[in-house]
Amino acid sequence: MYEKSVTITATHGIHTRPAALLVKEAKTYTCDVLVECNGKQASAKSLFKLQTLGLYNGVTVRVFAEGAEAEQAVERVSELLVTLS
Amino acid sequence: MSIAGIVVSSGIAFGQSRILKQHNTELDYRVLALEQIPAEQAKLTTAIAQFVTSLAIGLQGLSQNCENYQLIEADILLLEDDELIAQLQASIAEQQFTASVAVQRIFTQHADQLRAMEDIYLADRAQDIACLGSRLISAINGNIKHDLQDLHGPTILFAYDLTPAEFATLPLDKINGIVLKTGGLTSHTAILARGAGIPALLSCDFDLIKGNETLKDDQAVALDALSGNVHIKPDSEILAQLRQLGKDDTLRKAQLLKYKNRPMVTKDSHRVALLANVGCLSEIGHLSDAGADGIGLFRTEFMLMNASEMPTEEVQYRLYCDALQLLDGKIFTIRTLDIGADKELPCLSMPAEDNPALGVRGARYSLAHPELLKVQLKAVLRAANHGQIRLMFPMINQVEELDKLFDIIEECKTELVDEERGYGDLSYGIVIETPAAVLNLASMLPRLDFISIGTNDLTQYTMAADRTNPALTKAYPSLSPAILTLIKMTIDTAKPAGIPISLCGELATNLNVAAILVGMGLDELSVSPSSLLELKSSLCNHTLATYQKWSQQALSIQRLDELNDYVSHCY
Repeated sequence: MYEKSVTITATHGIHTRPAALLVKEAKTYTCDVLVECNGKQASAKSLFKLQTLGLYNGVTVRVFAEGAEAEQAVERVSELLVTLS
Repeated sequence: MSIAGIVVSSGIAFGQSRILKQHNTELDYRVLALEQIPAEQAKLTTAIAQFVTSLAIGLQGLSQNCENYQLIEADILLLEDDELIAQLQASIAEQQFTASVAVQRIFTQHADQLRAMEDIYLADRAQDIACLGSRLISAINGNIKHDLQDLHGPTILFAYDLTPAEFATLPLDKINGIVLKTGGLTSHTAILARGAGIPALLSCDFDLIKGNETLKDDQAVALDALSGNVHIKPDSEILAQLRQLGKDDTLRKAQLLKYKNRPMVTKDSHRVALLANVGCLSEIGHLSDAGADGIGLFRTEFMLMNASEMPTEEVQYRLYCDALQLLDGKIFTIRTLDIGADKELPCLSMPAEDNPALGVRGARYSLAHPELLKVQLKAVLRAANHGQIRLMFPMINQVEELDKLFDIIEECKTELVDEERGYGDLSYGIVIETPAAVLNLASMLPRLDFISIGTNDLTQYTMAADRTNPALTKAYPSLSPAILTLIKMTIDTAKPAGIPISLCGELATNLNVAAILVGMGLDELSVSPSSLLELKSSLCNHTLATYQKWSQQALSIQRLDELNDYVSHCY
């Protein structure tokens, strides 16, 4: 398993539009990518689940994945979590 | 037949009527028999596929970078979300719910979950989710709302309501005008219509039956979004009249555009700041198009309109910071919450009052609920660290009220220091909206950095006439000798203090009255963004000396009708 922790810096958190971009990117990888925050977990491929995590500005998020391309997928999703706004 | 409505995007338009069907969001509460389950699951799958297809059609012709494209794309992602679909299908299979009930349950749960979030931007999505859910239910009931791809010519669209996302899917090249039945919750759609230059009315009861006539599809329609009327099957006289009005209007709008980037100065270079009255963040983004020098009135009550609870300090702080960023150094005037028993807000409990206009409203409410006021004050004080903010209090009569407010401000500053969070300096002002405030102004001036005359309420309280009562339109003249005298008194008292004197109210949208107000010595006029360019184009035509002469003449007139007659002809 590959994992990484990042902090959300977007002023408004990861709201619908950035979350949608993240989901589109995550779907390009074959492995599932999981995002954990505030004690809840969601697949980065599910906008429905991501919305319930509360990805506010300032929260720390753990991103992890297993299997094919796990490292690339985690790196890409983490990067988006930090840069999207 | 003609029907009245409220103009939200001005202009004249002609076309064939098309009525958008209302969502059929009826729920089918049957408990399914086990053998009906596979068919019901298939029905859900088909409805989702149809709905996604109709959304995808809407995406064509939109730029990928625009906000609406991305919002519709997010809707599609949600509808195709494996986790969501699995939950819906399980609900049908295990609880034996019909597809519509399953959607209703799961979307409501999801919306509630989002609503419970402390972040206003994320919590706002709850409404979008609920809306997407009811559109999906409508699709399950065999009613895909956007059956507009078959429009063949210029169309006037009639709809019960239109969300911004729905607006984005409209074939705008064929839609010349929009008429909405609803009044509320559509401000964003109104802004989009204005942005797209499509004339629009709202609060228009178009499904009302007049005599034997009802509105049907494919009737000839003339939309007069200047006076606020829609004419169904207009006669040739009305048509000719509106064609001319439309031509004049188009020409006028094109001419106004050249004033966008010019500063507002009179012919003899006297500077007057033209500011905008706004009620939400999205309006601020469009201010530069309107040629505004900033915001003269930011109504913060709007934050509460759809909120289930009071926005936290953090949420408000970020909102004010966003506004500062959008304004980029232009004037930013925040009015503290102006609430009272006449505005029903779901997040605050307010006891009913016999006379709400004369009741616990504005700063009176804030002083009675310092815990609410402090949340707002701390957010504004913190935001002032990032830019200049003017803060004004509504419904102030007496200096003692100001004393109490400043005590609370000091408390907030102490708390912010203790919490190791910085704050910035604010400019403080009051809204002059009662005769008492005018009469007591001298005692309050030492504490103030600016004042703003709120003429709508000042007129209501001076005339003792409820401005919402249609029987009192004569008793509530917007321009009267009494109001001019009170404005004059205010200016005479405040001018020696050397502070900016502003006016926010409908009064200033009348071009001739605005000239007289400038002549009287007002430094700033604050009006709705859509009136700004026209005001600018008019005020730059003459010198300050001319306006002064007109205002002296106007102030010498004692009769109401004479005054209005003079003012309408002075230009």
